[in-house]
Amino acid sequence: MASRLSGGGGLVTYLLAAAVLVFVLAPLAVVVAVSFSTAPLAIFPPVGFTTSWYEEVLANDEFQSAFIVSVTLAVCSTITSFVLGMPAAYALNRWNVPGSRAIEAMLLSPFIMPILITGLALLQFMAMLKLRDAALGLFIGHVLVTLPYLVRTVTASLKQVDRSLEEAALTLGAPPWKVFTKVTVPQIVPGIAAGCLFCFMVSFDEFPLSFWLSNAETMPLPIFLQNSMTKVFDPSIAAISSLMILTAAAAVIGLEKLVGLRRAMSV
Amino acid sequence: MVATAQASDLAFSGLTKLFGTTRAVDGVTLRIAAGEMVALLGPSGCGKTTTLRMIAGLIEPTEGDVLIGGMRITRTPVHRRNIGMLFQNYALFPHLSVAENVAFGLQMRGMRKALIKPKVAQALSLVQLGALADRLPSALSGGQQQRVALARAIVIEPTLLLLDEPLGALDRNLRDSMQVEIRQIQQRLGITAVMVTHDQEEALTMADRVVIMRDGKLEQVGTPEEIYSRPTSRFVASFIGTCNFLRGDVIGQEAGRPQVRLAAGGQIALPSPANDQKEVLVSVRPEAISLSAEERGTPATILQIVYRGQATHVHMALDDGTPFLAFLPNRDGKPVRSAFSTGDRIWASWSPDSNWAVSEA
Ligand SMILES: Nc1ncnc2c1ncn2[C@@H]1O[C@H](COP(=O)(O)OP(=O)(O)OP(=O)(O)O)[C@@H](O)[C@H]1O
Ligand SMILES: [Mg+2]
Repeated sequence: MASRLSGGGGLVTYLLAAAVLVFVLAPLAVVVAVSFSTAPLAIFPPVGFTTSWYEEVLANDEFQSAFIVSVTLAVCSTITSFVLGMPAAYALNRWNVPGSRAIEAMLLSPFIMPILITGLALLQFMAMLKLRDAALGLFIGHVLVTLPYLVRTVTASLKQVDRSLEEAALTLGAPPWKVFTKVTVPQIVPGIAAGCLFCFMVSFDEFPLSFWLSNAETMPLPIFLQNSMTKVFDPSIAAISSLMILTAAAAVIGLEKLVGLRRAMSV
Repeated sequence: MVATAQASDLAFSGLTKLFGTTRAVDGVTLRIAAGEMVALLGPSGCGKTTTLRMIAGLIEPTEGDVLIGGMRITRTPVHRRNIGMLFQNYALFPHLSVAENVAFGLQMRGMRKALIKPKVAQALSLVQLGALADRLPSALSGGQQQRVALARAIVIEPTLLLLDEPLGALDRNLRDSMQVEIRQIQQRLGITAVMVTHDQEEALTMADRVVIMRDGKLEQVGTPEEIYSRPTSRFVASFIGTCNFLRGDVIGQEAGRPQVRLAAGGQIALPSPANDQKEVLVSVRPEAISLSAEERGTPATILQIVYRGQATHVHMALDDGTPFLAFLPNRDGKPVRSAFSTGDRIWASWSPDSNWAVSEA
């Protein structure tokens, strides 16, 4: 990890990495910069410096409720994905489940399905079942898209666990559930953490599903942001965006503190 | 001192495992006495690991039974078998320290912390690793890791110690000393042990009895000496050490010893009354042979002379083309090469006690 790339290939790699960083980070930096602008419109370069947009946004009832909806939704879908995904990934990898490949493919299929269409289908399905609760719809929809991330990362890390560790634990007298908690889980903690982070981020940032499934009472942050933008394009939009970036960064830093990001991302 | 578990004998009857249509293990029946160390030896794919894993309970037999101390444990889950097992890759828990690794089995038995501590310390001192108790396994050498694994396996006072090529990943010198160390500990604790290896020297060094396996079946079972000096088949004789094979016909008896005329010329006697077969295959170990320039014994032509430190290997061809090999001991490291040279015609002789008739297969 600490070693440096050298030669022509190394230079290309570094330039490419720098270019990617610039293209990803620069627009974010622009957004953050604009959020402190005193100009009445979201224009770049920003003029002056003020935190009034943040004060305005944070005091806004609609923003507050959207933020709470989004965080609640992200936390709930992450927990649910964990609760459903962990046993699923474990069973598919360690037990002889008939048709395990088909089941795994089905669990991962939301990865490749057009989410916008999935959302519409889900909306119609819910309407058919006379389930008109937007919160429930959003929750089900978000779990649908976050679950594959957890299954994928946990599966990948389970595959890397040396089976003889589990066998050694069995011979030492550990019943299967203790083998799982005392030996398997400690080996895959980074994978689990990475999976949960992905779930949180994907849900927090989710737009196409929420677009169909939310309503005026239950509106996640991305939809709220989009709605506000169509009304007025002042730096409060940038402030909302910056707050979203901040939340994401907090999640990443939290993970780093918890298990170390490098370990978590090494799956 | 780690307490000696009361040793139990181990038996399998008709143990069989099919993978699809492959008979990985095919009707193995064997009794292993309490405190005995048995080595399963055989070429790759002959079913050694599969047999061991069935004893451990990690693989369920297709047919047959495993009995420990007369109790049928074939359907007992692994974690209730009270088994200590060593793996080729050590299988130490990477997230636990050396001491925690050793304590694992005791914790699983619900032992109190105060009791665990001294037991772990004893086990670690038995393998001379007391000083490294707080290290993580990744900070240990291969030999140290396997010693931790050994301490972890014996601290639970297992009824059975199973070893699957435990020293396979170590280099030659370390392997030799670990062989002796593991053997000493096994004997001192009196644990019944089954070891898998495909290293014949390891099997001869460590085991009370050696089991030669072939295609999932037992080929021969015996003490190292029996296996080496009285192999039943050509397969065993050539698998353990090096061996010459001579074809011949029994032409009569003389002083109760069957006389064999060799196809390559010359006549030899068999040490024991042979069964009444006419054609025999006789095995002779290369170290039993002496060479002479005088016309005495079986004639041969020297093809190559190789100096090998403690012995000189003389590769020859008998008159019918049969390859023939003699190991001549070197005295003071000096080769006997000077006496002979490539292309020489010489005569090989050996004691009739070195002859041993084996089956062809
Ligand atoms: N899980 C499995 N599925 C299918 N076939 C298997 C499986 N495990 C072993 N076999 C087959 O069973 C036979 C015996 O295998 P085993 O591992 O017991 O051999 P071994 O004597 O330990 O060989 P080695 O010295 O190479 O370790 C081999 O032909 C092997 O291919
Ligand atoms: Mg094997």
